[in-house]
Amino acid sequence: MMSIPFFTSALAVVLAWCGLRVGAIAMTLISVVVLLVLFRFHATDALDIAL
Amino acid sequence: MPERFAHALNILALFAISGILLFAFYDQFVGGDLPCPLCLLQRVGFCIVGAGLALNVIFGPSARHYGLMILGAVVGGAVALRQVALHVVPGTGAYGDPVFGLHFYTWAFIVFALVLVGAGIMLVFRPRPGIGGSFRSPMGLLATVLFFLVAFGNGVSTLAECGTGLCPDNPTSYEGYEALMERWADRSAN
Repeated sequence: MMSIPFFTSALAVVLAWCGLRVGAIAMTLISVVVLLVLFRFHATDALDIAL
Repeated sequence: MPERFAHALNILALFAISGILLFAFYDQFVGGDLPCPLCLLQRVGFCIVGAGLALNVIFGPSARHYGLMILGAVVGGAVALRQVALHVVPGTGAYGDPVFGLHFYTWAFIVFALVLVGAGIMLVFRPRPGIGGSFRSPMGLLATVLFFLVAFGNGVSTLAECGTGLCPDNPTSYEGYEALMERWADRSAN
């Protein structure tokens, strides 16, 4: 599951090289969303710092 | 800023991002440090920044591509900042050995901040659209192919480390690879 955004960003480069600009942008945006979701899964503990 | 100059800067930056990811690979495979989940997410941030740069290299500089870089740098920087905050209080430990006096996650935060500054400067001084012709050049091709290989390689190594699920907080072995080998051995025995 954590490998998904690596493959989607690599796929974005392939789509870009094939001339599919919108597809490449969409694939990069998907990578951003997946990164946010994975970050949510891995940032569960409250930080022991005073802000 | 001349469009060709902006294009050359994007190629240079794409090589730099690939270099950062290759250095992380060096530390992983030669240094023997398995990347933690937050470390992997910072690598994803660099891959998103790299994808934006690759779009600039292939299609020519565009505000939309810089926008993707900014999104990747903000989310990647947030991940790095969380890891810095986890270890910023003295006595709370650290993950991995420092490089040039700072840990990888601190360097990652600095680089993401530099990406934001760089993207801002490029957007302010970006050339008027529609000036350039073809952007395909041998150096651009080399930069994009190298970045593709590094991004894909990160996907494969993450699959080997974490399998198809989430990564353990403190990884000690390539669990995904070992599980695959066990399954393969079971199938061979039966």
